[in-house]
Amino acid sequence: MGQITLALAKGRTAKDSIKLLEKAGFHFPDFHEKSRKLVFYSEDEKIKMIYVKAVDVTTYVEQGAADVGIVGKDNILEAEADVYELLDLKIGLCKFSIASLNKTEIEKGTAVKVASKYPNVTRNYFKKIGVPVEIIKLNGSVELAPIIGLADYILDIVETGNTIRENGLTIITDVDEISTRLIVNKASFATKTKEIRHLIERLKNVLE
Amino acid sequence: MYVYHNTENDSILNIKHIYAREQLIQKLKHRFSTYGYREISTSVFEKYKLYATMNGTVNQQEMIKTIDNTGEVLVLRPDVTIPLTKQLAQKQPKLHKDLRYFYILDVYRQKNSTKDYEQFMQAGVEYFGNGSYEADGEIIALAAHVLKELNVGNFTIELGHAGFFKQLISEIRIRKEDFAELRRFIQGKNIPELERLLERLALPEQTKKIINNLPLLYGKLDDVIAKTKELPLSEALHDKLDDISAIYDVLKSYDVAEHIVIDLSLINHMDYYSDIIFQGFIERIGKTVLMGGRYDTLSHHFGAEFPAIGFAFDMDLLLAGCSLQKDFVIPPIDIVIFYDKKEEKRAISLAQQLRERAYHVLTYVKTDETGHIPDATAVVTVSDGSLSYRDSTREATVQTEDELIQRIENIWEEA
Repeated sequence: MGQITLALAKGRTAKDSIKLLEKAGFHFPDFHEKSRKLVFYSEDEKIKMIYVKAVDVTTYVEQGAADVGIVGKDNILEAEADVYELLDLKIGLCKFSIASLNKTEIEKGTAVKVASKYPNVTRNYFKKIGVPVEIIKLNGSVELAPIIGLADYILDIVETGNTIRENGLTIITDVDEISTRLIVNKASFATKTKEIRHLIERLKNVLE
Repeated sequence: MYVYHNTENDSILNIKHIYAREQLIQKLKHRFSTYGYREISTSVFEKYKLYATMNGTVNQQEMIKTIDNTGEVLVLRPDVTIPLTKQLAQKQPKLHKDLRYFYILDVYRQKNSTKDYEQFMQAGVEYFGNGSYEADGEIIALAAHVLKELNVGNFTIELGHAGFFKQLISEIRIRKEDFAELRRFIQGKNIPELERLLERLALPEQTKKIINNLPLLYGKLDDVIAKTKELPLSEALHDKLDDISAIYDVLKSYDVAEHIVIDLSLINHMDYYSDIIFQGFIERIGKTVLMGGRYDTLSHHFGAEFPAIGFAFDMDLLLAGCSLQKDFVIPPIDIVIFYDKKEEKRAISLAQQLRERAYHVLTYVKTDETGHIPDATAVVTVSDGSLSYRDSTREATVQTEDELIQRIENIWEEA
């Protein structure tokens, strides 16, 4: 069997993802979260792992630079990437939620201003509920936007809700459930079917 | 290939790319011709109306539009199959003889949410008038034949059936929004979300079981058939499987079955596909290099009735898959001839003789300023009444043109 390239998202879920891979029998002896290396090989050399920014994982996989990727559903939804999403790894659980100051609810027919790191997710959600939306794209500290009057609402990923509460905001609705997924390049699935199915089977076994 | 908004098309001067693409075009034209396919072309400008009335084909936002001086909205060729079918249907509502066509043409799109115009070349074939399994087999085998002889390495053609999913849906009641999600999740083999959606939908348990298994009804024909045996398929669904098996048998005769895998969750974004559909992938290239299928109902849109099947290669992706090969590398200039001005007639006549023999030749008056002269494999000098030849390993002086040409031919033959 040949080697497959796996793109692993840095950050929030990296540690748990590695743990899961170890459990499934893929060991990365050189790997360390703080390492500056970007490429790691599993002991049996079956997996070449590239360690990249979470928002870039879908790009690597969609373009075929990586055969498979491990990344949060939040990034997959935002990227709208044309990839297969074969497995829920059930780690990194959180939600996409909408929060506002003073529990202001969304009214149908009234345009809203929403700040988010996820403009595509935001657009799709408001399209679905039929509310006109103006999106303010921010790259961090989204909670600040309603406080200083930049936006009426925020749409962000929420784990415990602490950051939201500490900044005086209230969650008014949940949009979607998020967890870490295994994604696969369509061409790789066709040309490296055996290797990829093997990886999936082994991950599946430790998930149950 | 992207053509950026504010800059010139940067492929204009990319001679390596253009040379390689031309080689590929010639190879494809040759292979398509040997199967009896004849080249056609469609207009770059088409009426927007043609596409505006056809849902589920080319995304209307992606088309590049322009307005003529009568106010008619036109689009730059977004597709080839549709205008071709339309023209054929208007000419002859019923075909008396089968028609086999091929094309190598640019299509134009502007992807959603980007400002980049995209111009990409498609090489496709269309086979009208024959609805048999043998016609299906011929088309798919032709695609495989091309990929095989281009030496692109490991390649796979996924074979599915547009009618399978359509039939499955026709057997149940489902809301439009749910249908769109269902389709998207199956297409993306999004197993986690598919399971979640099915939990929510009120569908018969039997249907749920089939849909849940769809994404992994993938692999060699025998394995997929074995897996479907455990599923409660209706007779109509079994018929679709029989179609696939029958075509697979034809592909065995063409000796290409080893490259075929079955994917029952294959759904094409083009709604006009009615039966067999397929897509091809090659190693190292992350995207679909070829797409095709049978579209027997498309002619009905234009008041005609004839079966049809076809496919198209994405030329940029295909080229990326074979650009490293020797055949696709631009050859060097063979010979530079330097001459004394008074020997000009002799030198140029020599150059013409060599060009007649297909050598790539440059000529220059002998000078000390050689910095601007392109590199060549060999240098010939016509000076003081004699002819001399020089390349990286040998040097010689000869008396006559015939002698020189003979020598050059021997050296090139060795190399």
